[in-house]
Amino acid sequence: MYKVIVIDDEPLARSLIVKLLQAYPNFEVVDECPDGFEAFKSIQKHNPDLLFLDIQMPRINGFELLEMLDKPPAVIFTTAFDEYALKAFEIHAVDYLLKPVTRERFDKAIQKCQHQALNKNIDAVSNLIEDQVYEGYQHRIVVKDRGNIRIIPAEEIYYIEANDDYVKIVSKEGSFLKKNTLTNIEKILDPNLFVRVHRSYLMPISQLQSIEPYEKNSHIALLHCGMKISVSQAGMTRLKSLLRL
Amino acid sequence: MLKRFVKYGRLVPLPILLFIVGIATLPFSSGIDAIWKSLAIDIGLHLVFVVIASFFLEWRIRKYPTKVLATLHATFLAFVSAILLFVIADLFLCSLIFNDKIYLAHIDNTEVMRLIMAWLCLGWLAHITVLRKHQEDNQKEIELHQQAVISLREAELFRLRQQLQPHFLYNSLNSINALIQLDPEKAQEMVGKLSDFLRLSVKRDVEEFINIQEELNYIESYLAIESVRFGNRLKIESIQSGEDWEKAKIPAFILQPILENAIKFGLYGNTGNVIIKINISLRDKLLHILIENPFDDTTQPPRGTGFGLEGISRRLTILFARADLLEIKKHNHIFSTIVKIPQ
Repeated sequence: MYKVIVIDDEPLARSLIVKLLQAYPNFEVVDECPDGFEAFKSIQKHNPDLLFLDIQMPRINGFELLEMLDKPPAVIFTTAFDEYALKAFEIHAVDYLLKPVTRERFDKAIQKCQHQALNKNIDAVSNLIEDQVYEGYQHRIVVKDRGNIRIIPAEEIYYIEANDDYVKIVSKEGSFLKKNTLTNIEKILDPNLFVRVHRSYLMPISQLQSIEPYEKNSHIALLHCGMKISVSQAGMTRLKSLLRL
Repeated sequence: MLKRFVKYGRLVPLPILLFIVGIATLPFSSGIDAIWKSLAIDIGLHLVFVVIASFFLEWRIRKYPTKVLATLHATFLAFVSAILLFVIADLFLCSLIFNDKIYLAHIDNTEVMRLIMAWLCLGWLAHITVLRKHQEDNQKEIELHQQAVISLREAELFRLRQQLQPHFLYNSLNSINALIQLDPEKAQEMVGKLSDFLRLSVKRDVEEFINIQEELNYIESYLAIESVRFGNRLKIESIQSGEDWEKAKIPAFILQPILENAIKFGLYGNTGNVIIKINISLRDKLLHILIENPFDDTTQPPRGTGFGLEGISRRLTILFARADLLEIKKHNHIFSTIVKIPQ
């Protein structure tokens, strides 16, 4: 018996999946969720084997939800996105269903699921956002905070520090760890607002209060929040070009 | 000013040259043996004053343009300038060559001739300026019109994109798909609503201005589908007030993108029930349209609208030559968009 959670903000879209799944007695729908927040709680509670996941949902989208999960279950995306856009994340999922979902296509996806994918561990999920399925830059970062999801708006970030496999995001609300590399985070944030001042530091340009020389070839940046972070020589060059000095 | 004068100045030297030639040949036509020095002073003075007069005309006509009787106005201005030119040049001449009695007498004899020549020359210059100004105004108008046409095209294109590549349509079909299984009667109803919407959007004329009531009907058919898709989560409150508001005209494709934005932000930004308020009122020949939706700071706008409030603001500015017609406010998690349309 496979446990399934259906996640979609449209009630009828959820009902359709549930209805179509009734033909498969070895799949059991344990929960339906209208948004990522509820889904996150539900996934931790039920530990499902398969998700039907809509991409565009209230508050946090499908990708952000997956990023939050330590061991993401198998996923079938359901979306009205264009096919070419889907190719970008095709590799990360068992399958995807384009809306309107047809019985024929649904059956294929389930078969694919039964044959191979449920045993396969999907580990490429953390790179989802990086594939830039969405155009443009992110204006926020989603992190896990003691079992809850927290959204950090980009303008509330003081700085981001590399910390082994994690990054430490220091913001108005405190500091949070996220499993990702600083280089990835740098890619998804607007380069006109954020600057990599050091191998280990990324900071919003608006936080800069002053720069003081430190040792040879290095500087210290003083931030509005009162913290000090190191600025490397390359970081200084980037900072200068961004400030047009 | 000087730059413009030089740029369009190709026509200007001709009347001045003719005028100077006229002044120079006057003594010969009246058969006197002019002293070269007096003649040179005469020519030099007129050259200086006619150039000054032409600058004055250019400045005067550009600074105080008249829409009506522009040529008559120019002729009159040229006449006044010609008299001034004549009087001032005469005064200077008399004081500079007071000992050349023959030439002074010649000047006295040719007064009328000089005045007429000055008038012709300055009239010519004034008309060149009037024509040029007219041409420039036309050019500006054409450019403005072109901009208006382009922005309408953009809006149209946006609408077409919405129709041709609509998540909206796919999602609606998906809902119908579900309803066929769950509630066939409701599925039929939804098909009807979707057809209504599609029919209205295909049928719509590509006009710059449309009736507000017509636009509201269209929007209603759109909202009817959204309410089915999102069930009880979406509620619309619509209030109209003011006399004859239903006769008001608004630019096409202005209201719908704003409402779509409101729904998207409202629904994607919140998990609970979402109330969208539409308030339309006509006051002091200004149609006020207020659209309010709840929003959440932390949620990102859903991507792919492409033609946002900025495009609408630009169109309103072009259409009405006013920059204060679109206003947005964020207050207490309520996002308000206010559009004013002059009637």
